Amino acid sequence: MNVQDALLEKLQEFFRDSKVYEFMNRDVICVTPDKTLLHVKEIMRIKRISGVPVVDDGKRVIGIVSLEDIIKALEGNYIRESVEKRMTKNVVSLHETDTLQDALKAFEKYGYGRFPVVDDENKLVGIVTKHDIIYFLLTKLGLIYLHDRRMEEALERSTSLVTGEVLERGKADFVFHIDYFDVNKIGIGAARLKRFLTEKGLDEELVRRVAIATYEAEANVVIHSGSDGYIYCLLDDEKITVRVEDRGKGIENIELAMKEGYSTAPDHIRELGFGAGMGLPNMKRYSDRMVIISEVGKGVVVELMFFRREKDENKGDR
Amino acid sequence: MKIREIAEKLGLKHVCGNLDEEVKYGFTCDLLSEVLGRAKPGTLWITVQTHVNIVAVATVVGIKGIVLCNGHEYDKETVEKAVQSGIVLLKSEENSFLVSGKIYELGLR
Repeated sequence: MNVQDALLEKLQEFFRDSKVYEFMNRDVICVTPDKTLLHVKEIMRIKRISGVPVVDDGKRVIGIVSLEDIIKALEGNYIRESVEKRMTKNVVSLHETDTLQDALKAFEKYGYGRFPVVDDENKLVGIVTKHDIIYFLLTKLGLIYLHDRRMEEALERSTSLVTGEVLERGKADFVFHIDYFDVNKIGIGAARLKRFLTEKGLDEELVRRVAIATYEAEANVVIHSGSDGYIYCLLDDEKITVRVEDRGKGIENIELAMKEGYSTAPDHIRELGFGAGMGLPNMKRYSDRMVIISEVGKGVVVELMFFRREKDENKGDR
Repeated sequence: MKIREIAEKLGLKHVCGNLDEEVKYGFTCDLLSEVLGRAKPGTLWITVQTHVNIVAVATVVGIKGIVLCNGHEYDKETVEKAVQSGIVLLKSEENSFLVSGKIYELGLR
C-alpha cells in the first residue's frame, strides 16, 4: 500500500459522509465526440491531465478518453481517428451526492485514476481524482503542505505529524517567549535567534535566512494571533528547525494567506509598513521546508527547516 | 563604499551609528516584508518609515544603514535601538526618489 492510500484509509473514517460535490474539481475539461484523439492528446499535454470525459450536446457523459487510450492509439496508429470511435464507452461515473466513502470504493474497485461526476440528468458537473480527495481532507484538517510539491514526500511528512510525531520542545536549543502585543517589539525574538546562531559559528547567509523567516513568523504572532507565542529552534548536523507557535485566532484560509500580496492586517498596521502580504511567502522563500498547521480559534504552528549545506545552489538571487 | 562618503556628498544628517560601515547596495521601499524578502546584506535602505521596527528589519537582513526621507523624524525608540544594534541612521529633506537617484549615481547598486 503506498503512502497515499495509507493516508486516505486513515482519514476517511472522519469524513466518509462528505459529499462528492464538496471535493470534486468543478473546473472539468471535456470534449465532444467529433474531436480526434490527437486533439485530446494535445489537451492532456497542455492541461497536464490524464483523462478527459466525452460529452454530447446536452453535456451528458457518453464516454471517456484516458491516457491509456491515447497510448494504445499511438501504438495502433489510429491517433487521428475520432473520439467517438475509440473512447471508452462504459464510463463509471460518480453522482454529485455520493459520499467520500462511495468515491473511495470506486477507486478501489475499478482502479481508475479519475471519475467524472454527474447530476441527476447525467450531466457532467465535475471530476474527482485521488489528489482532489487528499487535498480536501488536508484542507478539512486545517493542514496544508507547502513548498515542496512532491506529493509523496509531503504526505509522508503529514502522516508523521498527524500521528503526533512532533518536535521535542523540551530539548530545544533556543526558546523565546513572544509575550508582547506591541508591533514595535516585533523582531526581538528573531534578532536574538540570529545572535544565538551567529555565536554558534553557523554560516552567515544561512543565519540570515533563518532570521528573516523567523522575523516574519514572529510578526504574524504579534499582529494576527491575538495571543502570545513561542519560538523554538533545534539544531542538528544537517539542519536548523524553527518552530513558531501561538494559540490565537488561527488562519482562516491558508491558501489565500500564502498568496503574495494577500493580507488581513488592519490599516493602522499597514501604515507602519506591515501587511504587505509577503509574510508567509517570505518564509517559504527563505526556508527549505515549511509546514503550517492551523485551525481557526486554536492557533498556528509554523515549522521551518533550513538545511546546513555548504553552498546554496538552488536558492536563486538571494 | 563607506556610508560616510555618501552622507557627505548628499549632505545627509547623521543621527547615529558608525559612518565607516561599508555598503554595496541600495534598496528603496516602505513595506517591511518587501525589504525582508529582497534586500541584500550590506545594503543602505531608503525609506519613510520611522518606527522602531525598521531597526529590527535592518538587523535581520544585514542592512548597514537607513536613510529617512522627506524630512521625517525617527521615533525616539528607533534611535535608541539603532545605537544598541549598530545600525547607522541618516536623514534627508528630499524624497526617496531623489535620494535613491543620487546614491545610484555614486555607484551603489
